[in-house]
This record gives sequence, structure tokens and C-alpha cells, in this order.
Amino acid sequence: MIMMEDVHFAYDGLYTALQGVSLQIDDSERIAIMGSNGAGKTTLVKHFNGLLRPNSGRIIFDGVDTKHYSVAELAREIGLVMQNPDHQLFLDSVEKEVVFGLKQLGFSEDEIKERTERTLVSLGIEGLSERSPFTLSGGERKRVALASVLATEPRILALDEPTIGQDASQKDKLAEMLMGLNEKGRTVIVVTHDIEFVIENFPRTIAMANGTIIADGPTNSVLSNDEVINKCSLTAPQLTQAARSIHKIFPEVPERLTLLSELEDAIVSILGGV
Amino acid sequence: MSFLEVFQYTRQDSIVHRLDPRAKLFLSLVLAVISLLFLEIFPLLIIIGVLIPMMTAAKSLRRWLRSMKGLSILLLFILIFNTLLSTYPNPLNYSIALILRLIALMTSFSIFFLTVHPDELSQALIQMRVRFEFAFAMSMAMRYVPTLGQEAYAIMDTQKARGVELDKGNILKRIRNIVPIIVPLIIVSIRRALSIAESMESRGFGASKNRTYMESLSFQKRDWAVCIISLIVLIMVIYIRLNIPLPDWSIPF
Repeated sequence: MIMMEDVHFAYDGLYTALQGVSLQIDDSERIAIMGSNGAGKTTLVKHFNGLLRPNSGRIIFDGVDTKHYSVAELAREIGLVMQNPDHQLFLDSVEKEVVFGLKQLGFSEDEIKERTERTLVSLGIEGLSERSPFTLSGGERKRVALASVLATEPRILALDEPTIGQDASQKDKLAEMLMGLNEKGRTVIVVTHDIEFVIENFPRTIAMANGTIIADGPTNSVLSNDEVINKCSLTAPQLTQAARSIHKIFPEVPERLTLLSELEDAIVSILGGV
Repeated sequence: MSFLEVFQYTRQDSIVHRLDPRAKLFLSLVLAVISLLFLEIFPLLIIIGVLIPMMTAAKSLRRWLRSMKGLSILLLFILIFNTLLSTYPNPLNYSIALILRLIALMTSFSIFFLTVHPDELSQALIQMRVRFEFAFAMSMAMRYVPTLGQEAYAIMDTQKARGVELDKGNILKRIRNIVPIIVPLIIVSIRRALSIAESMESRGFGASKNRTYMESLSFQKRDWAVCIISLIVLIMVIYIRLNIPLPDWSIPF
């Protein structure tokens, strides 16, 4: 469990990035963090594993203030995949890259082998295992970077913009993998602008603007709120837009919908039920 | 790394900033050559005594002092190790002179780099008949130094998040820890260089043979004055060095 209490942070003590963020993340949650560019999302996740330390306020991990831990210690429990895969990859094969992360955290040989294989398969890059990451396409490199952290199966996994440059089927694979980890009790946190990805996979959404949390709650209520959508520079989900158009004609259809099943139920009820 | 601050251009309005970069280049080179001509404490103190007012004229004395403070640990190391390991007759004397020479050299060049904008530098090179492509490459290189620094920090963060402990372990382990930083840094730089080249070409870089420039530098009277005085001083100092025996200024230990 991670608790943040009134966290303030400014880069170089000058450029304010977080101003009074408080939140609680329980074990085995799935959370999306959304917000416009510069809202403080990346700054926030960098506080989870101690890459950034708050200017004031506290971050409590399992009841202990994280200031007592080094980044390396926190990295065992809290995995963070950054936006740019090129900042991470440095070995000459995809497989070695995945093994490296596991070795850093001290897993046994057998465990390393088994986890590497499993992760590569579940992200659909097993065919690339002998290739050099530097010869891969942008989307593939992104998946290798993801794989190297996913393989360690940290208790809390935070991903910064994991869906950039991924086609729909890759996104589905990633979502499936994240769900699998979540079922094993791992907490999954993503920072993203991809509203459909969030609606389909993450029950809770935290919306940020100007270094503060402007909304935190069930995804469908957060993302069907116009003010949140505007402040986060998002476009309302297509489903919500459709629901609104239908609502103008059939007021019995609620205008704040995000899920397909909700819309189906509403339409069925207009049609008098089947 | 705060001592590198004296090599970073700062936007200011001062007599030194207004000088032509070519004159400043000449001045810096003359000062550096003079610093290299001496390895005795007192002449070097005199050189530094001349450099400090120049720094003041460039309105950068405080910055210079801050850099020297950042450098002090390194200087202390040089002092201690040279004194202990030197085979010279007056080791302390020799190490102090070495330190003063380093300070004088750094300050000489910082007069140039602190006051010349990268664009001015490339324009100066072009007017010194360096081909435009090379001059442009030079100013691009200067432009990307801070970017590279930011990139290095981002890479360190990423590797730390994977559990790499950069500041732990013995020297060998620390050296090995550089690999996960340096490899991505090189790759990212090469990738960026390629994409900059592509985007420059797609915007027509090198399309016309005869380039024209928005601004051109012109040598003024004060620039000539700086060059002539520098030259006279250089000749005088060389003459003194070669022909006039200097008294033994060294302190006796």
C-alpha cells in the first residue's frame, strides 16, 4: 500500500510540479493516472520509487516512510517503466536485456530463465530474443523495455505511457499481461492519455491538472465528467459522445456513460426490452 | 561539475560581451600562451591578477568565484598528490604553480566561452573562412551539450528504477555501472543526430550554394585595439621569458 500525504515538489526548488498531492493506493488495484501535458503525472510516479523526493509531505510504503529506503531497495517492490525505451536498453540482445533486470534483483538462474521466456512470449517478442534491441522498431523497443521490468513482477508496477507507438493488438496483449499480473495480486498503475485503454482496463482513475489531483474515483464517473475531460485536455470517449447524442432524443438514456454494456442496456430498455 | 559554469555562455551586456568574437579568441589564446610560458608562482599570480579584472569587466566575477569553489576539491587533490609524489626539488612550490597555471588557463578560455554566443561563434568561424557546414556543426555541438546532460540524468533515473546502484560498491563495480548509462547515451545521441540530419535536409539544408546571413560581424576600433595590445604584450612577455633572467621567486620548501 502506498500513501502520499500532502506531497509538494518543485524542480530545482523553482518549477512547481506537485502542490499538495494526497492519495492512497491499495494492494492489487488497477489505477490510471491521466492529465494534460505538464500536469505532474510523471513527477508523481517518480516519487513512488524515490527517484524524486518530496520537498514537503510524506510518502508511506507499507507503513514506512520511503525516505528510509534507497531507490534500489524500493525498485525490488516498485517497478517503474519510463517513457523512453532508449534510455533503458544497453545490451546486445533482447533476452540479455530482460535477464539483466532480473539479475539486478537477485533471482535464481532457473527463475530468471523461466520468467524471461514467459514474459517474452506474453508480449509477443519471443521471436526477437536474439536480436539486438538497437535494430528493432520503436514499438518493439518499447515492448522490450516493458518486458525487462514486467519480468521482475514487482508488487507495484508503474508504467509511464506504455501504449505509445503500439497498435491495437499489441495494446490488447499488454492489457492481458497487466491483467494477469493484477490477478496475482500486483498493483498496476499506468500514466497515459489513451482514454479507451483506461476505460477498458482500469477501474480507478486519478485525474491531475497543474500539479494537483482534480478527481480520483471510479473510471466511468471520472471520465464522464466534462470538467475533468477539459482540464485533462482529453476528448470524451466516443461512447460517452454517442450516449449524449442519443440522450438528446431519448432522455431516458443517461448522458454519462463510458461502458459499452451500459449503452447496450440503455438502448435495449428504450426499445422496450428484449 | 559546477566548475564548468565558467565555460557556459551567459547573456549579459558588458564591454567584454560586446567585443568581436575573433578579437576575444585572439585575446584568450594570447592569455593561455602566456600562462603556459611560466611555471613559477609569482608570474602566474600576476597573470591571474590581470585576468580577474577582465572577469569583473565581463560582469562574471561571482560566477568565476563559484566555479573556482567547485574546482577547489580537484585543486586540493592536485596540490596534495603533486607535493607528495613529485621529484622536483621544491615540490610544494611546483604544485602551487601547477594549480595557478590551471586556474589561469581555465580563466583565459572562459573569457571566450562565457561571452561568445554559439551563433556568434559560428558566424566568426564562417567569416574566418571556415566552411559553413563545419561552423554549423560546431555551434550545434555546443547547443547540444546541455541537452546531453539532461539525457544523462534521465538515463540514470531509468537505470536506478531497474535496481542499478550507481553510487555503491568498489571502484571496479562503479566503473562497470557506467556501461548502462553510457551505451544508451551514445545510442540516443546517434539516433538524434540522424533524425536532426534528416529533418534539416527535408527543410532544405544545403539547397542553395550561396548563403546569406542575417547578421555579420564587423571589426571595430576597440577590437583592433584588443588584438594589437594582446600581440604587443605577447611579444614582450616572450622576450622577457627568453632574454631576461628572472629572479628566483620560489618559496624555499
